Formats: sequence, C-alpha cells, structure tokens
Amino acid sequence: MLGKKKWMSSLAVLLTGALFVTGCASNANSNQGNQDTRKTMTIAYSDGGQTLDPAEASDLTSDTMTMNAYDQLVTYGVKTVDGNQKADTEDIKPMLASEWKVSADGKTYTFILRDAKFHSGNPVDAESVVYSMNHVKNSQNGSFMYQMASIKKVTAKDDKTVVIELNRPNHMFLQMIGMYTFSIIDGKTVKTKPKDYLKTNTAGSGPYKVDSWDPASQAVLSANTSYWQGAPKISKVTMKFIKEPSNRVMLLNKGDVDLAIEIPPKDVDSIKKNAKLNVTSTPSNRILYFAFNEKVKPFDNAKVRQAINYAIPYDQLVHDVMYDQAKQLKSSIPSSMPGYTEDGFVYKHDLNKAKQLLKEAGLPNGFTFDFTLGSGFDDWKDDAVLIQAELRKIGVTMNIKPMARPEFLTAVNQKTLTTYISKWTSFVNDPGYHLGLLLYSKGSSNAFSYNNAQVDKLWEQAEIEKDKQKREALYKQMQVLINADAPWVYLYEYNRVVGSKKEVKGYITYPDECIRFFPLSK
Amino acid sequence: MFGYILRRLLYMIPGFIGIILITFVLSRVLPGDPAVMIAGEQAPPDVIAKIRVELGLDQPIYIQFVDYVKKLFQGDFGTAWHTGHTVLQDFSSRLPATVELTLASIFIAILIAIPVGIIAAVKKESILDHISRVFSLIGACVPIFWLGLMFIFLFYSKWGFFPAPMGRISDGINPPTAITGLYILDSLLSGDMIAFKDSLMHLILPAICLSTGTMAIVARMMRSSMLEVIGQDYIRTARAKGMRESKVIMKHALSNAFIPTLTLLGLQFGFLIGGAVITETIFSWPGVGGYITDSILATDYAPIQAFTLMSAIVFSIVNLIVDVLYGALDPRIRYE
Repeated sequence: MLGKKKWMSSLAVLLTGALFVTGCASNANSNQGNQDTRKTMTIAYSDGGQTLDPAEASDLTSDTMTMNAYDQLVTYGVKTVDGNQKADTEDIKPMLASEWKVSADGKTYTFILRDAKFHSGNPVDAESVVYSMNHVKNSQNGSFMYQMASIKKVTAKDDKTVVIELNRPNHMFLQMIGMYTFSIIDGKTVKTKPKDYLKTNTAGSGPYKVDSWDPASQAVLSANTSYWQGAPKISKVTMKFIKEPSNRVMLLNKGDVDLAIEIPPKDVDSIKKNAKLNVTSTPSNRILYFAFNEKVKPFDNAKVRQAINYAIPYDQLVHDVMYDQAKQLKSSIPSSMPGYTEDGFVYKHDLNKAKQLLKEAGLPNGFTFDFTLGSGFDDWKDDAVLIQAELRKIGVTMNIKPMARPEFLTAVNQKTLTTYISKWTSFVNDPGYHLGLLLYSKGSSNAFSYNNAQVDKLWEQAEIEKDKQKREALYKQMQVLINADAPWVYLYEYNRVVGSKKEVKGYITYPDECIRFFPLSK
Repeated sequence: MFGYILRRLLYMIPGFIGIILITFVLSRVLPGDPAVMIAGEQAPPDVIAKIRVELGLDQPIYIQFVDYVKKLFQGDFGTAWHTGHTVLQDFSSRLPATVELTLASIFIAILIAIPVGIIAAVKKESILDHISRVFSLIGACVPIFWLGLMFIFLFYSKWGFFPAPMGRISDGINPPTAITGLYILDSLLSGDMIAFKDSLMHLILPAICLSTGTMAIVARMMRSSMLEVIGQDYIRTARAKGMRESKVIMKHALSNAFIPTLTLLGLQFGFLIGGAVITETIFSWPGVGGYITDSILATDYAPIQAFTLMSAIVFSIVNLIVDVLYGALDPRIRYE
C-alpha cells in the first residue's frame, strides 16, 4: 500500500514539475494576434481531396485547390445570367498568354506569354509551358484530355513564345487549355524536388499558395501578394472538409463558415429564410439520365424505350426529389451548352401513351426488368422508387438492385447491367466533347454502346467544321436523331447550389464547378 | 511473469499472419476495381488499364500478395491513393486524434459507469437502480449517428454551448506543441491553457457520444458482478467484523468485482476504435475512423489492410495488458 502511495506521489511531483518547466516557456498560442476576419474566408467542402497535381486531379476539392494555385494559358470570360455571374466558355480571355495567333489551317497556335512569376520567384517562360504540357501528356488522368485536345507538339520558340501544333483543327482546343488540367507548372522548381513532389505540393503562379493540406480536416490557402493581376482581396482561405451535409448547413446557419458547397436541396428553403445568408442556385452541366441496355430484350425495341420515356413522372422528380433545385432535361446535352435544342423531344408524363406504345411493341401485359441503383446519391434512390411506382401502373415491374459505388462503376464500364441511372458533368462546355464521349459510337463513356451511323457521321462532320453556326446546326441535328432513338430517359439537370453569407461577393459559376477564390471578397 | 508476456507476444504472431492473409484476400475478392475509382467516371478504358498496370493490379493475386508482404517487412504500408499520402503519413496524422477520442470516451465511461454500477448493486431494486437500468438501456440502444446529430443540433446550433463540429481545435487557435499528439495532454504539458480549453470543448461532445454504449454495458456489468460478490461469505465476514459498509464495498467487494469489468473495458477499447468511425464522420473529427470509411468507399486497399493489422495489434496488446492487470487486482492470479 505504501509502495502504491509513494508511486502516486512521485508521479504527481513529476507532472507538476513538467508543468512548471514548460508552463513558463512560450507555447503555440502565447503570441495570439487578432486576424482581420474581413480578409479571411472559411468554405465548407465535403471531401478532402486526393492530390494537388493539376494533371491528376479528378475530384472537386483537388480541382479547386489546383485551380487556385495555378494559372492557365487562357481563361473564360464572365457573363451575367438571371442576376448570377457565370463563366462564358465561348469567350476565351488571355491569362498567362497575353495574346495568341492561329494559323490559317487551324493547326498551329502561337502564344505570347506575359510577364508573370511563379510562387518561387522564377519567371513564367516558354520552357515551363513545354514542361507543363509534357506533364499532362505523361500523366495518368490528364493524358486523355491531352489526346482530346489533339496536341501534337509543344515547342518553345523563344523565352516568351510557345508554339502548340495540333494533329487536326480542334474547335475545343482553346477552351480545353483553360482547364485546371493544363495548368502551367514551375518546371524548374519541380525538377529539383523528389519524384512525387506535385502530388502534395504546388508550384504554380496562381493567386493562392496551398500552405497546408490535410485531407482529414482542412486546407489552408494564403494569398500570393505578388500575383500578376494584383493581390487577392481575401488573404487567407480555409477549406474545411465536412462530410455530413446537414452539418455544412448548420455551420453556415450559425455563421461559422462564409460559404458552403453542395447544399442538400431540401435545406435550401431553410437557408433562404435566414436573413444573413444567400443561396446561389445556378444550372450546372451535371445531368442525370436513365440508360437502357439495348442488347437486353425488350429494350432493343425503340417503342419500349419510348414507352418508358412516357411513364416517367418528370415533375415529381424535379419537385419532390430535388425540391426544384433541378430542371427537367429535354435533350441529351445540358441546356446551358451551346448548340442545345429541344427539337424532337416529345416526351411527357402520359401513361396512356406509354401503354399504347407497349401494346404496339407486342407487350400489352408489360414485362419485368432489373434496375441497378448505384450508392452514394440520395436523390437516385428516391428517383428509382418513384419511377418504379409509375412503371407498375403500366404493368412493368422494375426490380431495384442496390450496388456499392466501386462495384457500380466497374459494372458500368463493363456494360454488364440492364438499366441504371447515372450522372455526367461535361467540364468542357461543348457538345462535341459531351456527345463524343457519351453517344458517339466509339465514345469511351457511351453507356451501352449506342450506335447510330447518322449520328456518328454528323459528329465527325462537326469535329472539323470551323464555322460555329454550321457546327451548332450539326449538333442540333444529332440531338433530334438521338431524341427519336431514346437511348436514355433524360431525367434532370442539377443546379449547383452554394450557400453563403450575404456579404460574400464575387462567386462565379464555372462548368468545372470549381470556385475561383481570386474574385471573392467580403 | 516476463516469460509469460513473452510467450503471449509470440503466440500473437500466427494470428497476425492470418489477419494479413485474410484482409488481403477479402479486399481483393470484393467487387469494384480501384483503377476505375482512381480514374473517375469519365476516364476512357485505356487510362484505366494504364492505372491497373501501375498499381500492379494486372498481376495474379499471389504475386500481389508476395509484393505486399515484402513491402510490409520493409515497413512500407503502401500509399493511399484517395489522399495522395503514404498510409504511414496518414496514420501518424490521424491516429493521435482517434486515440485521444477513444481514451476520453473510455475515461468518461469509467467515471460514470463504475459508480453507477456500484450504487445500482448496493441499492438493488431502489429507485436509483431502476433509473440506472433505464439509462443503460437507452445508452445501449440509441444509435450513435442520431445522438451525435442531436448533440450538434442542441449544444452547438441551438444553444451554442460548444464550438462548431469542425475538427479538434478552432481555426484561430494553434494546435499545442506536439509531444504525444493528444491535444489535451500536450496543451497541459506545454502550459497552453488557450489550446487546452478549446480542444477540450471540441472533445467533449464526440467523446460523450462515443462513450454511451460502453457506459451502458460497463454499468450493467459492474452491477451484476458487484451483486455476485456482495453475496459472498467474506463480505458477510467483513460486515460481521463491524467494518463500515463503505469500506466493505470499496475495499473488499470492489477489487473482486472489478475483474470482469476490466476484461470488458479491454474488449471495448478495441470496439471503440472501430466504433469511432461514425462519431468521427459526424463531428468531422480528423481521426482514423473517417479515414477508413473513405478508404472502404473508395476501394483503397492499402489503408484498409494497414488498419486491420493495426487494430489486431492494438487489440491483442490491450488484452495482454488487461490479463497482466488481473494479477495486480487479484493476488491469487499468478502467471508462470
């Protein structure tokens, strides 16, 4: 007993001693300065991000961090739609390239670089552009964008002049090199660092530097005060990673974050009621569609697919599932994309018409099919249940089979499913990109290998058409043909919902959904 | 004694080998291709194929296993693609958060459950006993995610007693100088009262939330083993000697009744590390739990394997410690 007491008392002495010794020394918070809250901003994100390498980034958090740490050769203009600021992807503006010339055959672009400096102090020169383009070419994820941009060769003509040669004229080229994938990297600095340096560090010339990034909690970005466009108004941006959507809403309501992304549609009304907050809900390029495997009977019959199209409760999906934070999709491309048309879209919720089409298809008593529900999105589940209920009314039984996301994505790639719903976001705001990947017969993301020779021909024609008007006319013809074939049911196009404090200004919607911090202020 | 501990440590090795093998096979048998997840839903097949080759996923599974074990022996747990960091880096930044949360919740559970269990046993069938039974039942049944959301809603959103559920410490406050990695301990050791107060406020809600289940089980266990001991002859003898009731309970009964509870606490520690998953997600606590959930959702093999192995090691060692503690509590237990 005595031994125990002795032991306890020596521990107490030790702890007090430790407190005494260290307590007098300065600690991490002994020199707390007050920060000007008007110059800092906290933004709630959901995921923590995967990489800081612009060529490998493929999730919103990574994209946003790289977008703000790097500049690109060109960028997009801004227009105002319904009172909200929005990127105008058809208006290409100078960024690191102050001007450029296109050769008569449309295959050679010559860029003149402006005087700008990387965070390291190195100048942005032609060599760094060559380095950056090669970096994209040799990357895992970005290499496919490099191919899509049809880049053949990148050469430094002199210190400030870069020549990019293309394999063929490509009307999407300028728009594509404005994406984060084609960020201009400080090659000189990276070459002196270990191999995977770019994965966890940035070496750009952008308005912000990534001071710290911990995918578990937060990323802190500080302003690049010697930015070539002037120092950003917000000197420090903290991106907080908050998984739980209801917590993001609560934090915003309490004023603990200045801005929160991915607000659940059901919470939009509660935020609108808060006099201190704003909700910006703008159409995005994210669409939701229901895909049929035409190799599985009876979906080989266009009449059956059309019947399903008539049985979908479109208004209910938009209103009851999405709380009106979405819009019915009426073509294979999102409505904000150039060349969009609703021509040939005849479908509305009409069960009699659906029944009649089934009868014409020789299935008056309906049929049974499997539907695969990928996990991870609450609205998909509600959509599936509502669609199931409507289909039952026309005698069609839809068996919903839930599947975890990794397994779902693998099955989608292998084209082994019968039907499913899936979303798609075209970061390149162009039907050539969108339809080329999704509905061109050789498109790599063509859900069930939809194949219409006429559609293919029109797409190929549009690819090399230099005239914008003529090109868009071709894309319109394609959409009409696709509408008649009904390879999908078009469900809805999502709104991008961002909640912010009233005083937060300068939010602009981009097709890649990344927030540019530079124009932000409060 | 030391011979015993050494033997127990040696016995753990075959268990660990089994765990390495089983987690490896299980994670590969599960459907879902990590290359597809890495590449994202827009990537064409050739990009996916390239990633498969780079990760070695195109190799037969036994070659992948040999590679994995080889690296393991070099101390390389692999890289988590969904964070871009090595598993060791991720663990070293997140493990202290989970350990802090788990220790705090065990501490709270002991602090409340043991006295409650003792009182419930001593005052059997009294109103206190019934109250403790009802609360134990609630504690054991309430789902953590619901409790967590309610805590946040009430104590943060509505009344504002606690700071925003964003991590371990507020934005404007620097984390304490790292000594153990546990903010509470580090801030005390460095005399940083600002960080101490703030990190304590961040810790309380998730720790209580995580401790409810343990609290309920421990209280019930304590009550029943206490009841059993109180009925023993030596307690009657102690009372017959004229010893004060409080001394009878605290000295003679408690040390004997505590053994089964200790076993339970040892087991609970392992469960809590696993159970922290939900709590960590709800409170945005930057620990291992949330990390593992993300890894599973992303089919990120390396962290899942490392975590399973680590949990097995922690679990085995905690239980060894518990077994050794038995000897301290009960002199009749001897190890040879």
